[in-house]
Amino acid sequence: MEFVYKTLKSIIWAYAKLREKLSPGWILKNSSRIREWELMVYAYSKSPIGVIGGLIVLIVFILAVIGPLIAWEPYWEYKILYDENLRYHPPCLPPSCSGYPLFGTDEWGRDIVAMSLYGFRISFVISIVVVFLGAPLGIILGLISGYKGGVVDEIIMRVTDIFLAFPGLVLAIAFASVLPQRIRGVLETNSALRAFFSGLFGLRQEEYGQLAALLSIWFAMVIVWWPGYARIVRGSVLSVREMPFIEAAKLSGLSTWSILFKHILPNVLSPVLVMMTFDIATATLFAASLSFLGLGPQEPVPELGFVISKAGGYFPERSTHVVLYLGIILLIIALGWNLLGDALRDILDPKTRRAIEYRLEKEKKK
Amino acid sequence: MEGVNVGLASFIARRIITFIPTLIGVLLITYLIAYAIPADPVRAWVGEKLMNPETLEQIKAKYKFNAPWYEQFIFLIQQLLTGQLEDPVRHKNVFTELTSRFAVTFELAIVGFLFLVLIGLPLGIIAAVKKDSPVDFAVRVMALVGSSLPAFVLYYFLILAFFNYIQTTYLAGIPMPSSACTTTLSSLPQTIPVLGNIVSAIGSIPMFGAMMCGEWSIVLDTFKRLYLPGLALGLLNGGFIARIVRNSLLDALSTEYISYAKARGLRKLSVWRHALKNAMVPVVTVLGLNFGGLLSGAIIAETVFNIPGLGRYMYDAIMRLNFPVIIACTFLIAVIYIVVNLVVDILYAVIDPRIRY
Repeated sequence: MEFVYKTLKSIIWAYAKLREKLSPGWILKNSSRIREWELMVYAYSKSPIGVIGGLIVLIVFILAVIGPLIAWEPYWEYKILYDENLRYHPPCLPPSCSGYPLFGTDEWGRDIVAMSLYGFRISFVISIVVVFLGAPLGIILGLISGYKGGVVDEIIMRVTDIFLAFPGLVLAIAFASVLPQRIRGVLETNSALRAFFSGLFGLRQEEYGQLAALLSIWFAMVIVWWPGYARIVRGSVLSVREMPFIEAAKLSGLSTWSILFKHILPNVLSPVLVMMTFDIATATLFAASLSFLGLGPQEPVPELGFVISKAGGYFPERSTHVVLYLGIILLIIALGWNLLGDALRDILDPKTRRAIEYRLEKEKKK
Repeated sequence: MEGVNVGLASFIARRIITFIPTLIGVLLITYLIAYAIPADPVRAWVGEKLMNPETLEQIKAKYKFNAPWYEQFIFLIQQLLTGQLEDPVRHKNVFTELTSRFAVTFELAIVGFLFLVLIGLPLGIIAAVKKDSPVDFAVRVMALVGSSLPAFVLYYFLILAFFNYIQTTYLAGIPMPSSACTTTLSSLPQTIPVLGNIVSAIGSIPMFGAMMCGEWSIVLDTFKRLYLPGLALGLLNGGFIARIVRNSLLDALSTEYISYAKARGLRKLSVWRHALKNAMVPVVTVLGLNFGGLLSGAIIAETVFNIPGLGRYMYDAIMRLNFPVIIACTFLIAVIYIVVNLVVDILYAVIDPRIRY
């Protein structure tokens, strides 16, 4: 715990020194902000749930980055087609195949641990990008809607209502079944785009058809993701808008945009940050659910939800190990973000920080 | 008292009026998405092999596929509102199928909701009473794991345990009341005017129909068929509900009126009763929205447990580009959304007398 605190504190100071170099006097001007960050980091290092969550997220991140590079078996090689002996055996189950492969194979003879390394990358990229595209969209719309009020507010909120009025999964299914053919056409003609996205997801360029399916899940999820943020941000803006410091900012002649982003946004951001952390977990499971329903990429792409849904066809005789292992991986990814979000909710609450500050002062006096 | 009712009525009227543009927007967007699909829906309905140019033209003319998109849309909406919408794949009125699918989803929602309340409320109350105890910690873990667990994996393992090993459920079909019972129930509106309609509508949900006719073995069978998905839904969200019950109960217990009640020397039980009633507002919101979510069809649960419900119907319709069914399902789900939100708002006023509309 002490180690976590020291590491994070040194990161804060490294950042502060960088800013100091760019604009001298930054540390002095922002000393209270740095103090606040230090308190946050202290509170975090005291929360075992948060530290465990952060550790899981870090490991998932590392696996997502290096996974496709260290995977010892390419996901597109069906061993069963090359090896006659494998064909008439059930997929290798964990107790019977001691040593290698560790957790058995799927029904095509592929090592599921190697497959899951590709799966990490796909799940991670989808969930992160969905939240980091969907949330800002919702935040901007919520800011405008709450601050402007009147007709603008009414229009934005009616559109938000429309998107909230039908379940996200259904809307996403509708989008995910419409888009692939269009995206496929774009990927077919544009090779740079193809190379970029296949690199991002850790897939081969030949699989651009599956890539199109992945991208359409992506797009579908962004579209269903923003309304929640728009609602929440609008609500907080409504209460912040009436505060004296906003009045002061208006009187000093600041433009609407700088009031919105410099004065209102920082005051409504902490619940949104907590929500984003939880939502990365939800997005991971949501994407897996879409591919579980068969809307995402098909063979041979090892998207976790899709592999589980295929294993489900042989469940339980030949594929308990696949469902169990990949299910636990999905559980761990989502659990990491949920634990982190649970801790962040306490840390970002100013009351918690004041309580810690008070306690530390008291200890010093002793 | 009179004023309260007028206020409530005008509140409901206002809500319904503001919902009309939303409803049109939902239908329009759904239609435009479906319209944007670069495939020929008629081919998907009829199937490639059975294609006969004449029938093709007939179907196209019937659904106005040669007209511009807004005429098609208005045509579909007209059919929807007059109840004439026809399912081009099954060749019967959409609403016949939709009613039977919704009845199944409704049963599942009730069973799931039952488990949700049975798991969530007691656990939440215990966690609040024994704050920071192992039970409290367990509830926290349950909420976190429940929201991190991929639902379909839980479903598979519940099936493995309850179907393959202890064999206390089955995974095909939905039990229906006997045909004598359904005929009696559906003929009720002719003999008793208003009440008969209501009774027959409730009776069209198989489980309730069987209850009304006293066919308890059918009710038991229904429960046997649906308790497993219900339990799964309860396990997944129960921890979350328990956390909300716990937090709002603890909030309520730290208020001044509770201190006052304690100071007056009230018995522990009645102090708790005071707190519980005031802690219920956020709980009712979440439970209501959860029930609404269940009514819109749990697609994944319906897929894994092989239940012919609303979610599955809509999924199949999307996959086959079945516009009329997609529009009808979207309409139903949007209406469920508004009704659930409205009921939750009205329940606020029932629970908390300070809230008036």
